[in-house]
Amino acid sequence: MNKTASVIDALIREARGALRRTLTEPETKTILKAYSIPVPRFKVIRDRETAKAVADTLTYPLALKVISRELTHKSEAGGVALGMHNAKNVEDGLFEIMLNVADDAPQAVIEGFLIEEMAPRGVEVIVGAIRDPVFGPAVMFGTGGLAVEILKDVTFALSPIDREGAFEMMNEVKGFGLLTGARGGGFKDLDAIADVIMKVSRIMEENPEITELEINPLIVYRKGASAVDARATLTAVV
Amino acid sequence: MSSGADPNFFFKPETVAVIGATEASGKISGIIMDSLASSGFQGRIYPVNPKYSSVKGYECYPSIGAIGEAVDVAIVALPAFAVAQALEEAASRVRGAIVIGGGFSEAGEAGQALERELKSLAVKTGMRIIGPNCMGIYDTVSRLDTFFIPPERIKRPGTGHLSVVSQSGSFAVTAMDELASESTGIARVISYGNSSDVNESDLLEFLADDEHTSAVAMYLEAVVDGQRFIKAAARCAAKKPVMAVKAGRGGAGQRATFSHTASIAGRYEIYKAAFKKAGIIELDGYEEFIAACKVFGAAKARPSGGARVMIITDGGGVGVALADECARRGLEAVPLKKEVEDGLSSMLPPYFAVGNPLDLTGSATDEWFASSLEKTMAGDDYDVAIVAALWGPPGLTDGLARGIAVKADESGKPVIICSPGGEYSRDKSRLFTGAGLPVFSTPESAVRAASILAKDAAFRKGRERKPTRRQARNE
Repeated sequence: MNKTASVIDALIREARGALRRTLTEPETKTILKAYSIPVPRFKVIRDRETAKAVADTLTYPLALKVISRELTHKSEAGGVALGMHNAKNVEDGLFEIMLNVADDAPQAVIEGFLIEEMAPRGVEVIVGAIRDPVFGPAVMFGTGGLAVEILKDVTFALSPIDREGAFEMMNEVKGFGLLTGARGGGFKDLDAIADVIMKVSRIMEENPEITELEINPLIVYRKGASAVDARATLTAVV
Repeated sequence: MSSGADPNFFFKPETVAVIGATEASGKISGIIMDSLASSGFQGRIYPVNPKYSSVKGYECYPSIGAIGEAVDVAIVALPAFAVAQALEEAASRVRGAIVIGGGFSEAGEAGQALERELKSLAVKTGMRIIGPNCMGIYDTVSRLDTFFIPPERIKRPGTGHLSVVSQSGSFAVTAMDELASESTGIARVISYGNSSDVNESDLLEFLADDEHTSAVAMYLEAVVDGQRFIKAAARCAAKKPVMAVKAGRGGAGQRATFSHTASIAGRYEIYKAAFKKAGIIELDGYEEFIAACKVFGAAKARPSGGARVMIITDGGGVGVALADECARRGLEAVPLKKEVEDGLSSMLPPYFAVGNPLDLTGSATDEWFASSLEKTMAGDDYDVAIVAALWGPPGLTDGLARGIAVKADESGKPVIICSPGGEYSRDKSRLFTGAGLPVFSTPESAVRAASILAKDAAFRKGRERKPTRRQARNE
């Protein structure tokens, strides 16, 4: 078994051991990293005391996100704090998140925190995948961010997807103009998006235990892209 | 998926048995006997029913075993509970069965159990089964007709080169009836119902190599084996246009909806993606299905090279409506080249505004239509012509359709007729269908037909561009 496979295998085994079907954000990002999909640099802490030391090993500004299997929508429960510029900010931010979660989702068990370098602004897209019982893995691409459920400006393609197929997908969504300079935004790195689409397709092909995978947003720049938030689900064990 | 023999023998049977045959013309098996007798089927017909010694003038046998030879196709018109036993007894002497009746997996748990019996029978004996809960086969090549609705209610299309594959029997017969009324011919129609054994992939594999079929139109509810379907459809679509309607769009399946992806991914999005992968032209419902059948099935149907449309009419408003619809559907009503414009101007009165759309006005004649079509389609400026002949101008005669058909042949390009209007126009539009041209009654439906041709052209161009990789992937 190669390194990528063994890293992912260990993750899945751990989740299974804890009777979980959902992977946490850092777990999902570890899978993305294993397939060299760019993610912001991040660390996971289990308690507030280590926060300062860990934060100082990263480059400010930082984002903080709560890790809890009960909270699939972290920001709605106040589980995210952005723009931490120093260690003091980080400590305050963690405290605030804990209070928010205690208020909004008192039943949620906080397993730890993700401390992550803030990604610069760019164009937000979504790359997701599901495993269809009849046709196998299908990859979704579309206009990303919070509006995805409302706009549904997305397209699907079945795995495997080559570079040309990835570009066809980009062409099929209305938001394509946002990537090619509409509203003065400049031309974005379409090849970087194509890489992510093809790699997500490969992750689904090579890891039959993953039934859903989603990167939202994938922030795209003039050069490069970054998977800022991600989630994954495992198949049900029968 | 069955491991049995390929089901091609269903389309060239020499011997056909009707299990449960009766004399009564009002009964399903009686109608099937009538159809077989009158459809021109050249093979041997064996009614099977222990109650009779003859049915409809044919010697009737008490069992399949009593027939002196093996049977290629046994049509089973028995109640659901009796089917499995009858087929079990017949299996060693029957290559394939068409199980017409319902009462199987579509009808609750007891029916599901009966269908599982059929399935395992097919696996165990190697006998292939079409159905149950289907109409079976209407075939203008072998002349087999197992459709149990009499021709006075559902007209049978004449011989053509389009084949229809339908999971639904009612969809298949209704489409057949409409196509017959439009003089669109058919090669084979297969209504395969619950697909207990023979499924859409088997049929695509057969039709891919069928020399009598040059286009395939499908109605699908649920595909059995996704990977095999994509492979079979891609192979068929590489040889001839394959189009499909996917019915039953609702339902997000049994997925958890943890991610946005899963909540957006309905069954239909996945089928769309599958169609795209296989190179199947997606049709969005019944109307588009009929449009596709006409534009690929008409006697003078031809594939289009692309999306450049020439519009010729004698009604300015209809011309503009056609041009608007072209723009909406991504087709291009490209302006005329200078030399073509000059050629038309020299034919028409000096005060004419010559362009695309070309409006021949109330002064139009048969000859103007024919020559305009000839002059505009001769070069490589256009891929398809839409001719909207309104019947007002006194200069138009019944010879118009023939003239246009001749020029369509000479051009080697598809010509679509748009013939809006009431009784008189509808009556006259038969001249066009009779001449083998696809006819549509509104500008919107005519342009929709042109856009289906353009989609086919785009798929073909895509395949030409990357033949090696597609092939490699489909091996």
